[in-house]
Amino acid sequence: MADEANRQLFPTQPASHLLPPSRTAKTLSTTPESSYWRTFRSSTLPSNLHLPITSLAFSPSSPFPLAAASSTSIRLFSSLSSEPSFSTLSLPDLAYSPSFRCDGGLIAAGCETGLVRVFNTANSTSLRSLKAHSRASRVVKFPLLHQKLRLFSAGDDAQLVQWDVPSETPLLTVPGAHRDYIRAGAPSPVSDDVFATGSYDHTVKIWDARVDSGASSVLSINHGAPVESVLFLPSGGLLATAGGNTVKIWDVIAGGKAVHSVETHNKTVTGLTLAKVRDGETRLLSVSIDGYLKSFDFSRFKITHSMRYPAQLLSVAFSPTGTIRVVGTNNGVIYTGIKTKKDELEGETAQVRSDEFVWSVPEPMPVLRKNKRYFSRGQSEMPSEGDFVIKRREKVKLKEHDKLLRKFMHKDALVSVLKTKRTTSIIAVLEELVARKKLIKCVLNLDIDELGLFLLFISKNATLPGRARFLMDLAKRVLEIRAEDIESGGAELAVHVRNLRRMVVQEIQIQRSLLEIQGMISPLLAIAGK
Amino acid sequence: MIVGGQSLVSSAPVFSHDGKKLLVCTGCTVSVFSTSTGMLITELEGHTDRVTSIVVVPVATSGGTKFSNYCWTSSLDGMLFYWDFSTPDLLKKLNVHLPVHSMVIPHILSASIGSTNKASPNLYAFVSVEDANRKVVDVKHLCGLIQIYDLTNSTRVGGILAETRKPEILAVSKSGEFVGIKKQQQLNIWRVPNKNLKSENMKKLKLHHTRTLSCLAFHPTNSIVAAGDVSGRILIWRGFGKMRLSQDGGGKMKIDREDRPGVRDGDDADSCSTWHWHSSEIRFLLFSSDEAYLFSGAKEGVIVVWQLDTGNKNYKPNLASPLMYFTDSPDPSLSCVSCEDNRIHLLRMPSMDIIKSISGIKLPLVLPESQRGESHVTLGFDRSNGIIVLPTMDYCVQFFSLFDDTEISHVQVIERNYDPVDETTVYISLIELSNDGSMMCTVEEKLPEMGLGGLISLKFWTRGSHTGHYTLSTVIYEPHSNGGVSDVAFCPGRSMAVSTSYCGNFKMWVKSSSFIHTGDEIQEKGGWRCQSVGSYKGTPMTAAAFSGDGSVLAIAAETVITLWDPHSNLLVAVIGDSLSPIRRLAFVGSSEYIVSFSAGTKAHLVLWNISTLSMHWSYKLLVEDVCSMTSESRFAVLALFSYSDKSVLTEKDGMVLLFDVENPIPVSTWFVRKAKGGRLNFIKNKSGEAADGKQLLAYINGGHEYILLDPSDIKETEGLIHKTARRPQVHSDDENVAVGYASIYGELPSFELTKERSSDNVPFVPSERPWETVFSGSSHALPPLSKLCSPFLESLLEKQNVLSQ
Repeated sequence: MADEANRQLFPTQPASHLLPPSRTAKTLSTTPESSYWRTFRSSTLPSNLHLPITSLAFSPSSPFPLAAASSTSIRLFSSLSSEPSFSTLSLPDLAYSPSFRCDGGLIAAGCETGLVRVFNTANSTSLRSLKAHSRASRVVKFPLLHQKLRLFSAGDDAQLVQWDVPSETPLLTVPGAHRDYIRAGAPSPVSDDVFATGSYDHTVKIWDARVDSGASSVLSINHGAPVESVLFLPSGGLLATAGGNTVKIWDVIAGGKAVHSVETHNKTVTGLTLAKVRDGETRLLSVSIDGYLKSFDFSRFKITHSMRYPAQLLSVAFSPTGTIRVVGTNNGVIYTGIKTKKDELEGETAQVRSDEFVWSVPEPMPVLRKNKRYFSRGQSEMPSEGDFVIKRREKVKLKEHDKLLRKFMHKDALVSVLKTKRTTSIIAVLEELVARKKLIKCVLNLDIDELGLFLLFISKNATLPGRARFLMDLAKRVLEIRAEDIESGGAELAVHVRNLRRMVVQEIQIQRSLLEIQGMISPLLAIAGK
Repeated sequence: MIVGGQSLVSSAPVFSHDGKKLLVCTGCTVSVFSTSTGMLITELEGHTDRVTSIVVVPVATSGGTKFSNYCWTSSLDGMLFYWDFSTPDLLKKLNVHLPVHSMVIPHILSASIGSTNKASPNLYAFVSVEDANRKVVDVKHLCGLIQIYDLTNSTRVGGILAETRKPEILAVSKSGEFVGIKKQQQLNIWRVPNKNLKSENMKKLKLHHTRTLSCLAFHPTNSIVAAGDVSGRILIWRGFGKMRLSQDGGGKMKIDREDRPGVRDGDDADSCSTWHWHSSEIRFLLFSSDEAYLFSGAKEGVIVVWQLDTGNKNYKPNLASPLMYFTDSPDPSLSCVSCEDNRIHLLRMPSMDIIKSISGIKLPLVLPESQRGESHVTLGFDRSNGIIVLPTMDYCVQFFSLFDDTEISHVQVIERNYDPVDETTVYISLIELSNDGSMMCTVEEKLPEMGLGGLISLKFWTRGSHTGHYTLSTVIYEPHSNGGVSDVAFCPGRSMAVSTSYCGNFKMWVKSSSFIHTGDEIQEKGGWRCQSVGSYKGTPMTAAAFSGDGSVLAIAAETVITLWDPHSNLLVAVIGDSLSPIRRLAFVGSSEYIVSFSAGTKAHLVLWNISTLSMHWSYKLLVEDVCSMTSESRFAVLALFSYSDKSVLTEKDGMVLLFDVENPIPVSTWFVRKAKGGRLNFIKNKSGEAADGKQLLAYINGGHEYILLDPSDIKETEGLIHKTARRPQVHSDDENVAVGYASIYGELPSFELTKERSSDNVPFVPSERPWETVFSGSSHALPPLSKLCSPFLESLLEKQNVLSQ
């Protein structure tokens, strides 16, 4: 119980109610994951778009062009890593859900009118128009594996259609597949005939085109909120759904059992995608209109990283190479994060080292080291890995005014803190002087220059909301007890007093108008109360 | 019955001969602590009043007695006891008949170090006693006496060695050659002869100073004596008594004045030097056992180590409390220092690091003069865990377990550096804990400097994983803008609290609890915020209490009690009119009664019935505190005797009365001491096997000594009292239980029963001067004319009488 030994020393600190809440992140997390994400150099795509980016998709084949749906067109950016150039695929109305074929040769997109158009990626010509939807076709997806001739689409008319693209004929039509708008869909990564749709009726349904007539879904899952995005995880056995501010993971093989629920976003989650990080590990990226992009490790069910963007996020995509992430916002800006080769290498090595650190059990160190270097190591010797480091007790860093206060040099402390012009520290020192009953004496002892400093502070801060009562009383008292010095003090002091006077007049005006507002509001409140 | 909370620093502690045990005077017992663990080993119980000094008998080297531990103790009950404190056994008693304030045994060292075959000489004890009778008889009021007792033969030797105005603390040199006292501005030193000790043949020496001396110490071997005075100076006389105290006859030699720097005229010393570092009265002086250093301490909380030859100083700062005593042990690497905040630090010697601290209960705060007027006692109770929460001078709160009599922890409430010399300007004025102890609320006040910069802040704390570990949840600055906080109460079973203010409003605080997941752990976010504000006619709100189920909130608006619905913040009812502002309120268990009391000249204890909104019964009593059981319909009252009774009972100035709501005759009564500033509360019984939710009544007196009473069974209580009569404690004479009210009725003339079972709903307050109060209250609720008429006419008649006379 030797508590005296570590008895704390409290420096004169500004009371916390005077400080605005800090907006900066307290500490940068230093997990290997976050350092990996930090190797991405972020920028924005020069696209001149102003309408929301509703959907983003990367082509599965080199050079991995990016398709972004915004306004009535699909922007097709050629490779992002070098200087990006784009071509435009236009649609008759608002464009939705661009989707690349598995070889990247074709791209399909939906439209507000219900039309689904298929374009040639290479020369941006429209090849086919698929008409079946009566309202906006929000979901258009090519299968992921080998099937090149079919795609499925769904839309606000709650209809699900599987198309044979060359002949423009629907192979499978499910009218009323859901009881509300279908806004999400995903093909299975293990079978070309299986796909999932998510709807605003809170359900996610899994369909199999091989099932005869296909009129009923294979599986139906209730997400509990309007579903904004659906995604199969790489195994095909797990399904991620986003709706409301939750992301849920379901086990499809086990018949739709909920595996995990992630509730880290504050607002509606709008997009999901898979991201390949080092060593073939995969993360689930989710974006939300609260402006956060979160990386979720679905093997450990842990959020590993989160990034904040200054806008509402609607869509997200991650390049198959694992080097580019793009995020679409509601104001047309596309944020990109591009990993440079050098960074990648560094990240890789860092990853290897950190893995070693985490997973390998450190070998017991031999206690006796016989080499000369060990015994002749100097003061600047860095601790090697595995050494147990005993930290020296951190020294309390005292500011100038704290040092002076400890020596009971009260006036000097006041002057030194006044010179810093840091309002919160000045108030803290003033309050400490009150606690020591030395404030009036200090004020009396200030010479003309120091009095000028003091009046400058007072004239600026006397109406500071937190401590106005104290500071206004203090101002009054100072003017009373130093009246003669102020009169004879010259022009500078006169200026401060004039400023103070102006501030008092302003404050009186503010108070008056506040009273007026109160007078206006209180009858309203009284009526509302009844 | 559990008694505790004694001061550990009433007298200097003493180490045992091997330095493994520390004997501390704790009230009327001597507590033996282990120096390696700092835990209590055993207690020596036998004295019936405060133990004032302990003298440990050094161990003789012969084999048989190697492991035995013997000591002499003296006490204010006029007895000297001889103990074996390893067993512990009382071996011998000696009656001095007068309260002993200090005792030294000069030759105890030489007596036992000598081998067994040498006949040991008689042991003589010098005792400083107080003879209160002499205060009346003697003109000079010399009531402090120094007497000598022969401990071997248990007889008194010779006459009176010295007379002082008040009993002084005796000091003895290590060799036993010299005994000394301070006597205002002079030191009196006697040489103790080895044989044939009588008060007549003791040689005496006086050393003079110009200021009042406060302590003295002898050098272990040389004839050097050091004395400290009230101004912080240390005087060192070297080579004293060469002439007057010399062995052979004290022949008067010629005094050579030039050779003796600093020595005052006629004093018998070679030289006198003065050291001055301390700014206030020196509390202790001690020469180190290696004779090279002198330790001194005063109010600053700094031990100063003086190098004896050069006067160079070394410091051990930051003990954060005024120092009281410094004791060295036979083990040269161990010593201890007693601090005024009831704590003993064991120090590792050359470096003076603190090894262990033995903490007692914190003493009451000493508030600055301006605040002392309102008798404000700041204490919190954790009723479910039996913990009392006390504010300390160094801006902490201490959690003290009533059952174990030990400190549990302390929590820093105000982040400020404490300096014992400074005047108190910031202090904790209120502590309140919720019923289960999971939430705590503290109020701290900063006094303004000439009306500038006062600050009151309210802090809410949440308990951590253990009892006594609290973390700050919310700070509210100036909760009632300018007004002081008069009371805080927690709503049972809910995260809700109310604070009342003298500026006429009360605020309900609720805790918005939301949890945020940060990675693995769940962090609690969100704090307390104000839910609603209420006031009643702008009158100062003085007290608040929640009913047992938390559905009704009672707030005392000066003289009336207002009842509120805490959730909708609606005024439900207003009860009664007392004569002076209500100090405190308590709902009686789950029943429909509220008990309130008011202080001042019209002190009053009233039991109100909520269902009929009327007074049930009342007493004219000067009440200090009231508390109620949570389950049963009983409540306890701590009442002070009014000052006119002082002659009747000097020792006991208060009593604890246990009432049942149905009956104005107390169920049981205990007499207590130092009731002024005392506190009462019921706590859940956790001790022993009777942990069946029974409640104990904890009484803490003004000096922070406490006793746990069992209110459940009167017979059992009697039995306990008999038991404690054999086992005297601090409170032993405080608890001669009178069963029932009748037994004490005769002793208390002013304790009149003004039982008032009001048949109607009108609050009617009895008073000696009815014409002042008879028309008080709203006009539609006036008493019937028949009741009004006679006192009013009476009052007129009285006035006529005065006129005619």
